Amino acid sequence: MWGVVFGLYVAIQALTYATSYKTLASRHLLVQEFGRNVGISALVGPAIRIGTVPGFTAWKCLTVLAIIGAVWAILTSTKLTRGEEDAGRWELLLIGGVTRKSAAQQAMLGLMAGATVLFVLTAVITAAVGHSSEVRIDAGGAVFFALAVTSGVFMFLAIGSFCGEIATSRRQGAGVASALLGTSYALRMVADSGTGLAWLRWATPLGWVEELRPLTRPQPWALVPIAASVILFSLATFVVAGRRDLGAGTLSDRSSIGTIRRLPMTPFGLAIYTSRTTLIAWAVSIVAYGLLLGSIAKSGGKIITSSQSLRQVFVRLGVSGAEAYLGVALLIMAVALSFVAINQVSAAEREESSGQLENLLVRPYSRYTWMVERISLGASVLALGGVLAGVATWIGAASDGAHVDLATLVDAGINVAVPALVLFGAGILALAVIPRFVSTVTYALLAWFSLIEIVGGAVNLNHWILDLSAFHQMAASPASPVNWTANVAMIIVAMAAASLGVVIFQRRDLKGE
Amino acid sequence: MTSPAIATFDLTKNYGSTRALIGLDLQVGEGEVLGCLGPNGAGKTTLIRLLLGLLIPTRGRAEIFGSDVQRDTVASHQRLAYVPGEANLWPSLSVAETLRLLGQVYGDVDLKYQSKLIERFDLDVNKRVRALSRGNRQKVILVAALMTRADLLILDEPTSGLDPLMERAFRLCVHEAKDRGQSVLLSSHILSEVEALCDRIAILREGSLVEIGTMTEMRHLSAVSVDMTFERDVPDLAGVDGVSSLEVQGHTVRCLVRGPMEPLLSAIANCGVRELLSREPSLEELFLAHYGSTASDASDHDDE
Repeated sequence: MWGVVFGLYVAIQALTYATSYKTLASRHLLVQEFGRNVGISALVGPAIRIGTVPGFTAWKCLTVLAIIGAVWAILTSTKLTRGEEDAGRWELLLIGGVTRKSAAQQAMLGLMAGATVLFVLTAVITAAVGHSSEVRIDAGGAVFFALAVTSGVFMFLAIGSFCGEIATSRRQGAGVASALLGTSYALRMVADSGTGLAWLRWATPLGWVEELRPLTRPQPWALVPIAASVILFSLATFVVAGRRDLGAGTLSDRSSIGTIRRLPMTPFGLAIYTSRTTLIAWAVSIVAYGLLLGSIAKSGGKIITSSQSLRQVFVRLGVSGAEAYLGVALLIMAVALSFVAINQVSAAEREESSGQLENLLVRPYSRYTWMVERISLGASVLALGGVLAGVATWIGAASDGAHVDLATLVDAGINVAVPALVLFGAGILALAVIPRFVSTVTYALLAWFSLIEIVGGAVNLNHWILDLSAFHQMAASPASPVNWTANVAMIIVAMAAASLGVVIFQRRDLKGE
Repeated sequence: MTSPAIATFDLTKNYGSTRALIGLDLQVGEGEVLGCLGPNGAGKTTLIRLLLGLLIPTRGRAEIFGSDVQRDTVASHQRLAYVPGEANLWPSLSVAETLRLLGQVYGDVDLKYQSKLIERFDLDVNKRVRALSRGNRQKVILVAALMTRADLLILDEPTSGLDPLMERAFRLCVHEAKDRGQSVLLSSHILSEVEALCDRIAILREGSLVEIGTMTEMRHLSAVSVDMTFERDVPDLAGVDGVSSLEVQGHTVRCLVRGPMEPLLSAIANCGVRELLSREPSLEELFLAHYGSTASDASDHDDE
């Protein structure tokens, strides 16, 4: 299925470009606008020869798909290896005469086979689209391009499996692997932000993917570090798998605690305590991206406003270049906060399905209290995350001498938290109505929001469809003023969904093991 | 307080077309220990989860000390403590932290009794729950429930995973609770456990209450399973007093014996008995003998 998604994404980008920028002049303008735009290049990679359909396609797809693929790879590989082990299913296999090592090898083989299918599908669809006279990508180019796009999947399948082996649980494994992906993205961002640190690209997996430069100036030798990392992490996975006990990990996890820690031992304190690692990791990522975005805002903005027509628009709106750039770039924060929202809902769902919640609910502690505490925690985390994003971006921008107000950026930060709040409210409702499908529903919603935001503008969608995306409702602050009417409406929708969730949750059977 | 510890009225639960509990009317008096027996899938766990307000009844209602378990869930929980058959605790907390958390949520805990229980069950409170075996986790959840001295203890196969020594410690605790006037609902599929602890026994099968009564009233249930191997042909034991469920296979016989063994022993004397084994029959065997069929085809919801 993912192969089709990848392929379709490529096809849409190529065809959109071919149809929206028909004339040479319009393409020339595009090159001027984005070609040397440091800000944009920091976000999605440098634009090489975007005046051609293949060049534009490669630029629009490569980093985005590499990241999506890597996230998918991490979730799948840790689930298939560590998740199954946590659930106790590996035990059955291992009793059946399979060694730990060969089990890990077979799992890896299965994962790589899946990734190969993904690669083939992407290649076939790209080649098919490339056949069109408007696009013109030859078969060889299509294959190399598909390889580049899916190389992130291959690498992070191996990395995810390795992290799954060294961690003590699936969550920890996925967390470590995600941190590696985040670091890789951040390093690549620095490398691509024109700071003279371009060599850093060679130090990060996502940088290698970029260095492949498919469809423009192919550099096949960048496959060497990619292949090497796949092989190395795979081998390391097998070694660790063969040596450790079932259920154990290498990462520290003390089994005994000397003294009682001074924790606030209430259900609410517990909810914070059990999600603390994830929350801290997200806070650090949000601050890091905020600082990065802020510090490249000025140069990013300069290039946006170097286009005559765009500058006039922004001057009329009274928006500085940096603000214009941040208006677009902060969408990343909206996506990041959406992940935090999903994470909060899943944590609540896990507490119920694992049977842990039952321990509280059989005592004088009501379902209502639990739900309300969970909702307050999630909403506060999202609001704080928004403020944090705004403040970090401001610090980054101020350090680079960009003239942006702290208040404006805090507003913008809260602004990007609003769609995440909508997702959170919907997630709470899903938790009450269809608890088993909470992740499916929330991820589908996020994908829907993002897809409309990415494709919507280009394909002239009906405004009703556009209106259904919370990202679309959100104003591109600080490039344009925060639309408080839309935000209040979204908050009301979120609160209504969550309240309905609370009511329904009190009237259904509790799920448990 | 004159309300019974537990009272159910036409309590019914369906899962789709599966009938897990059918029109149950049951009362547990104050200070009474009621054993709830039944094979897997009989509806024991469904009953308990309904009493705790974790499940919503399809029909009927239940009260704990007069508080409706659906409308006044919190009030009903203020007077009960519950031990599930499987402890799903927070792996990253230590035993001490878990006990503190659960105690705090309950409100009022007998700390002196808590330390006594920790000692009795031989618990290492500094260990993380993650590092505990299944039996040790079960002990944590037992201590957490018993330390409240709640007026009603609801125990759902509480000794699963415990070794015989700890089972004895558990029985001691139930006796203590009884002496203090606490009420107990003990669900189990081990006949001897229920026999040793309970004033009355309720038998559930395929979601319905089949019988309820005191241990003496249930005497017909207690039987011994006997396996015999003969050197010669097997004698005809069909008419012997107290013998039922005869199964003959070649030279071996299996049967259930109720009441005194004497009639059987005299019937097999001089018949060349090579081997004679007697043991407590499983609940399945008893049910087969008494009700004609097992409930193995009933719902599986008890195992969820």
